[in-house]
Formats: sequence, C-alpha cells, structure tokens
Amino acid sequence: MAFDLTVNGTVHSVDADAQTPLLWVIRDHVGLTGTKFSCGIGQCGACTVHVDGRATRSCSVPAATAIGKRILTIEGVSPDGSHPIQIAWKEFDTPQCGYCQSGMILSALALLQERPNPSDSDIDAQVTNICRCGTYHRVRQAIHLAAKLMKG
Amino acid sequence: MSQRTDSSVATAQTAGLNRREFLATVAAAQGAFVLGFWVPSKAEAQTLPGAAWYEDSATREINAWIVISPDDTVTVRIAQTELGQGVWTSNAMMVCEELQCDWTKVRPQYASANRDAREMAPEWTLKVPGNGATDPKGGGEPTFANRDRTGVQGIPDSLYRRMRTNAASSVKDGRYYLQLAGAEARERLLLAAAAQWKVPVAELTARDSVIRHASSGRTTTYGQIAPLAAGTPHPHPETITIKPPDQWTLMGTEQKNLDVPLKVTGKTVYGIDVRLPGMKWAAVRSCPVYGGDVKSYDFEVIRRLPGVRSVVQFPIPDPALTRGRIFSGGVAVIADTWYQARTAVDRLPIEWKIPPEHAAFNTANMRESLLSALDRPGTVRADQGDVGAAFSRAARIVEATYSTPYLPRARMEPGNATVLVTGDRVDIWIGDQSPQETRFSAAKITGIPEQNVYLHLCHLGGGFGRNGNGPQAEQAIMIANAQRGTPIHLLWSREEDFVGTTYRAMGEARLKAALDADGWPVALEVRTAMQEGGFGPDASFNLTSRYHVPNYRYSNHTTKFHVPVGTRRGIGQAAHEFYRESFMDELAHAAGKDPYLYRRELIARTNLPYKNDMIKALDMAAEMSGWGTPLPKGTARAIALEERGAETNGMATISAMVHTVSVSPEGKVRLKRVDVAHETGFGLVNPLSVKKQIEGQIVWFYNDAMHQVNTIAEGRIVENNFNRFPISRIDEDPPEINIRFFPTGHWLIGMGHDRATSVQSAIGDAIFQITGKRYRDLPFAQHDLRWA
Repeated sequence: MAFDLTVNGTVHSVDADAQTPLLWVIRDHVGLTGTKFSCGIGQCGACTVHVDGRATRSCSVPAATAIGKRILTIEGVSPDGSHPIQIAWKEFDTPQCGYCQSGMILSALALLQERPNPSDSDIDAQVTNICRCGTYHRVRQAIHLAAKLMKG
Repeated sequence: MSQRTDSSVATAQTAGLNRREFLATVAAAQGAFVLGFWVPSKAEAQTLPGAAWYEDSATREINAWIVISPDDTVTVRIAQTELGQGVWTSNAMMVCEELQCDWTKVRPQYASANRDAREMAPEWTLKVPGNGATDPKGGGEPTFANRDRTGVQGIPDSLYRRMRTNAASSVKDGRYYLQLAGAEARERLLLAAAAQWKVPVAELTARDSVIRHASSGRTTTYGQIAPLAAGTPHPHPETITIKPPDQWTLMGTEQKNLDVPLKVTGKTVYGIDVRLPGMKWAAVRSCPVYGGDVKSYDFEVIRRLPGVRSVVQFPIPDPALTRGRIFSGGVAVIADTWYQARTAVDRLPIEWKIPPEHAAFNTANMRESLLSALDRPGTVRADQGDVGAAFSRAARIVEATYSTPYLPRARMEPGNATVLVTGDRVDIWIGDQSPQETRFSAAKITGIPEQNVYLHLCHLGGGFGRNGNGPQAEQAIMIANAQRGTPIHLLWSREEDFVGTTYRAMGEARLKAALDADGWPVALEVRTAMQEGGFGPDASFNLTSRYHVPNYRYSNHTTKFHVPVGTRRGIGQAAHEFYRESFMDELAHAAGKDPYLYRRELIARTNLPYKNDMIKALDMAAEMSGWGTPLPKGTARAIALEERGAETNGMATISAMVHTVSVSPEGKVRLKRVDVAHETGFGLVNPLSVKKQIEGQIVWFYNDAMHQVNTIAEGRIVENNFNRFPISRIDEDPPEINIRFFPTGHWLIGMGHDRATSVQSAIGDAIFQITGKRYRDLPFAQHDLRWA
C-alpha cells in the first residue's frame, strides 16, 4: 500500500500501512530519526512535527491524515543549525540530554509562526512538551531570542 | 522510497552492504571507532565546524584518550556517557586544560568498552600526584572498591577504569587522570618537537595547539608533530604533575556543550536511532507483577499479522546480572518494524505465572507495613548522648511522620538496545550508564568472553540512574542470543519502561525532637523505613543529624517488598532531605524562630567540616531572596540547606536555596522564584553545565514535590504512562532563577543528582505558611490546598 508523503519538501513514496502512526512512518520508512518516540499517547510531544504548519504529535495521528500535506521535521528546520530558532537554542546552550528538543523546537517554531512576538503566557499555553531534564528555563529564553532573530 | 533525503543516506548505504561486508565493517569498528559505521554521514559529521566527527583510523593515537589529526583536530575519548549532564564537554575540558590545545578543534568520542576489557591502565595513570581530597594540587582520589568485573564500582586497573556514569562523580573521579592524560600527551608533543629541532625541551612552549621555540622563532602545530609524538614515549611519566585550580585557564570557564549543535538539528544518535542492515525489531511484554513469568502464550493469534517474524520467550533475568533485583520474565515479538512488533505483542494472548504473595501487595498494605516497621527496633546507625534522658526533661516534644512514594526515572528515551550475537562475538549498540556491567552481562548470557563483546555507545535520552537500572540490555542480549546472526533492536513501550525501570523506594520517616525552653533541640530521634535494598539508610541521616543536637539517635527499619529499587537520581538522600528540612521548618515554627536563623544557629553550633561554608550559603541565599521583606498575601518564602558528604568524608557539595512560592485561594501552587547560593569548591570545571544542572534539578524535585507518585495495585505499577504520571511543563517552571557561586576551599563531590532537593520542603512549608495546613506526604498536588 504505497502512498506519498511530502516531508521537508521532498516527496517520499512510502510502502506501509497508511494507518501506521505518522511518527513511525517518518522514523522507519522515510528514515528521519530526529523525531522521537517517548510516550506514544500524544502526551509528551517528543514526536512533534508540523503538518501544514501546525504542531502535531505524530505518534497519535495515522500517516494517512498527512497525505497531501506538508510535513516539517527537525531535519527540515535547517540541516546545519542555521535557522534563527536553532541559533537561539545554541546561544542558551538549551538542550541537556536533547531527546525532547526536536519536538520542543517544532512546538516553539509553530508558536513563533503564529505569534511572532509571544508573551510568556503564550509560551505557557502552546509549548506543552515535556522535558525531563528540566530545560524549560532556557527554552523560554531561547524562544524570546528566536522571536527577535526571526524579525531581524 | 522514491527519493532520498540526506539523513537516509547512511541507512541506504549500509543497507547496500552484504553480510560479509557488514561484519567486516563492524569488526573494523572495534576499538577507537566507537560511534560505529552507521553514523553519521560525512555531511552530518560537518555539523561541528572542522573535521570529521570520528577519527581517521589511519591516525595513530598519542595515548588512550587522545588522537590528534594532521588538521589539528583533537579527538578526546570519554569513558562516561553523555546523558544531558555535559560530561562530554567537562571531561574533554579536563583533558584539554593540560593538553593546551585549540578548544575549537576538540571532538569528543566514546571510549571503547571492548578495549577496556583487553587493556590495563597505564602505570602512570594509577598514581595521583598530590595528596587527595583536601589538597588543591591533588586530584581527589576516585572511589574504587576491589577489582570488580561487574563494573559496579569501576575496575581500578582496567584501561578506562571507571566507565560508570553515576553518583554525580564523573568530574570528581575522572579529573585527575584525565588531566594527567592531557599532560602526558602535551609533554610528549613537546619532547617530539624538541627532538626534531634538537633543542632542549625546556625552551619550548605549547599553547592553542602550537609549539614555539622562542629564541629561534620556530613553530609547529600539534597536528604536524603528532605522528612523531605518538612514537615518542615519555621517559618518566610518573614525574608529570597536573595543574592546580589556580593555574586553570579552560577549566572554570563557561563552555557551551560540544554536542548541542547536533541536538538542535536532530542528528544526535541515541540508542533508539540505531539502524543496522538486516535488523529486526523486538517489542516486549514482561509480567507486570515483578517476579512473575510466562505460563503460556499463543503465537498463532498473531502469526499472520503484518511484519511478524517470531516470538521469543525470555526468563526472569539472572539476579546476579541485575544486582540482585528481581524483574519479570516475558515474551518478545520480533517483526520488521517496531510498530508492527508492538501492535502484535499487544494482541498476543499471554498467561502469567504470578507469585501470589507479590500480587497481594498494594500501596496501602505496603505503607502499613513500613509504618509498623518504624515501631520495631530497627538497625541503629547512630546513637550519641542519651536521647531517652533528654526527652524526659524536654520543655516541648515535636513529632512528625513523613511519607514519600515510589518514584521512577521516567527518562524520555524508553529503554532500548540493539544486539547482534554471532558465533564468537557480541555487538551491542546502546546508551548505557554502565557499559562495563553490560559487557559482563553479555559474556555471562552468551558464553562469549568479555574480550569479544563490543559496545557501540550512544547518547542517552536522559539517564537518572543506569538508564533505569533496568534489564533492557539483558533482555535484548537474551533475545538476540536466541536469534544469532540477526541484529535485534529491542525497544520498550512507555508502559513497558515503567515495568522495566527500578524505583526509588517508598519511604516513611518519623522524626521526634525534644526542645528546650528556648526552642533549641536537645534531642533528636530519627527513624526511617524503606524496603531492603532501597538506597536510603546510608543516604543522608547517618553519622550526624547535620543540625546540632547534643543527643541524637538514628535507626533504619526495613521490610521486604517485591518492587525492584535502584539508584534513582538523588537516591534516598532526596527523600531524607525532604524529611529533615521539613522537620527543621516545623521545629523553627514551634520555637517561634525564623527558619533561616534557626538553621544558621544550629549549623554554627556543630563541629562539621565546612560549617562556615554552610553558613555562607544560607546567608547568601537569604540575602539574594530579600529574606524578611514583605510579600503579597498568598506568597511565602522558605529556605533549606543542601549539603552532601561533609559528615562522612573529605569532600562535600554545599548549597542553600530560598524558594518563593504562591498558593492561590483555589489551591494552585506556583514556584515563582528560586535563589541559589552554591559553592565552587576549589573550582567548577564548567560553570555553565553546573547552572544547567541546578535549573534542571529544580524542575526534577519540583515534580517530586508536587506531582509524582507511583502506586501499587495487585502487585503492579498503576501509573505507567504520562497521562497518569504527570510531569510539569514550561508553565510551571519558575519564572525567576538566580544562581550565585561562592568560593570554598575543598573538592566538590558533584552536581548531578542532589541539588535543589530543597524544593520539596520549601513548597511544603510555604503551603503551611499560606494555608495553615501542614502536609507531610508527597506529592502535594494530591492534597486540598485551598484557603481563604
């Protein structure tokens, strides 16, 4: 049952059950492992990707729902870390173990694309990813810096 | 796939290898080539500016820690595992401080656990110059017990000695020989240059990877001279000394973590990301009641599901390989993808053999059992003065009983390991906090000697205690051993991870103090109860009470439960700090005294080493927080001291924190601000990583205080995913964290696991100050915190 998925601007022909969660199609069929599995029930956000610009917990949606839509993963934000949000993340040395950070960055990026000047309460409301290392303090500062860099 | 993206290239290339090539490549991957061949493609390796992520295998090493390529890239081999604590950077800093190389060209790499099984440590690394912990010129002795092949304490004379990453000790235990490794290499580079130029070595200087001869103006680079240095032994390595803190130039500066660029681009290779040609996935289901095993299962039900290959039953892992802990037996479904395997194992009918006495456990009867253990005599660990007599003449007696629940690590990356067993070797790809132990397990399970076990170490998506102290490696080895020739990637579901982890033991503590007429304690009796093996009795209360009391008695009381307990971040100390510091607040309130000044006075009265540092920490944190200045209604401050080690050895780690907390009339708790005064000891290696550790542990212990609990019903863990086991998000992070360091004159133990334990008692005391209600059992979110 082959179907096409557009990931980071590239069309991939995927041979999988289209009901497979988008996360596993991205990791095991498209071969991009930057998107992470952690809870499998849409709670933690480690699997966050963008589907048509919306932050989506890819462990909890079938790949079929993303057919014909634009999927963005961490690998597509910029492969060399040059996107302003990645620069901001590096500036604060934000990650610790780093496992949640792909999803965290994509959640924050969706927020910034919707609200270029997010308040702290916007961040609280929309960046609901879990980080077990507790990097939240630097994540918040990095989001504010990214907002500035993305304008400039 | 019709088109390939960059990141799929590595996979596609390896998939093109035939079996013979694959094994040959894996064989070539032994030793230094630790990250293995499947990572990263050349393009990915360029994420860090400069040269390849891994070394050019043609380059000869200077010593077992250091390889210098012709382009001056310095590869530093790290024997600890990076799990977010910054060890890849701090350990590399210790080497490079002495090497005096260009820090921008440093690339960390995992040390080889296989080579560690084959080689002994060079003689010169075994002798620490200086005189131990109290000497700033010395290193502080690493803690090794007897030669222990399981690696529990490290192996004192194996090449990399302690490959374990635990006990907040990577910096403390690694520093002296990592500095020594850097110094030995620097001296040999200088000797090689001196020989080449035929000048006395004393006339040469080394800085930023350049060697200069001032009088002739000649220069060379480390990359140019390295081949010669690699063949130049040092005539007297035992005379090499390491730099004391006052000579550090790199250590002690804030350095961003070297692997962060990989972590913001999704390129870090964690164990879960390993892909091998011909690899199959395993999803497991082990008996949810610890100590249970498989009675029967019906493979026919799932045999025809997509991708399913086989089912492997595995026994209860040998407790000798899991440090006496009893996990469960179970089954693994092997399939082409993990999602197929997981879907199939979910549908596999399994009947369990469950020990009825284990199924009879539940939180209520376990709690009851601990409370009654408190009333039994227990093991007396300290008995100073005459506690009984002091109580008989007390002006006032205060007594409180505190409770803490079972708590897991719940690291973000679920347990996983990829294992290939062939006729005469085992290859394991894993993020592992204790590769020497895993190597030992692999040899025991397969019968293949440790010298033929190859660990390809990966970063860990959180650790917090040997990535769970759980048997993911042992399970994967057992499964792969039954499928020899096929690489098996075992991955636990989140629910399975809650079964496969070990827990911090649930605990009870009864503290009873006799106060004199002025409110000062004249006697303290502490009883703590945990299950056997619970990492509590020796955690914190022990030889002294920390705060001065002339008559002190401490006993611990154990009972037997079936839940495997292990070294969760902070071990029993975090629970003990909640008991002790909460009780200090209660005593101060009973005495009508300020909890900061009450603590201060009771530290001042002790004979503890470093008591002035403790007072300094309290003073500084209080001052930073504006202690005593008015706060709005519904907001309160609480203070606590964090100290580890001063009672028992020559090292300590000391901090004090003030937490400003609000509770809304509706009962919503907000940690608004944390003021942290932390000592530096003789020197922090990477103060940036220390700050990040403190910030992270504020979140960690906030969660312990507010939200987290694992309960037991019918012998099983009830909360087994993040819907029922809540973890705070960014909206609960304190908006203000202020961290200040102050210099002290001793070596630190470490930062990794027992900072910010004060969040627990502080929130409890703030709730008391605001609502008038004192809760003594965690987590607080389970209580009615409303007030008006």
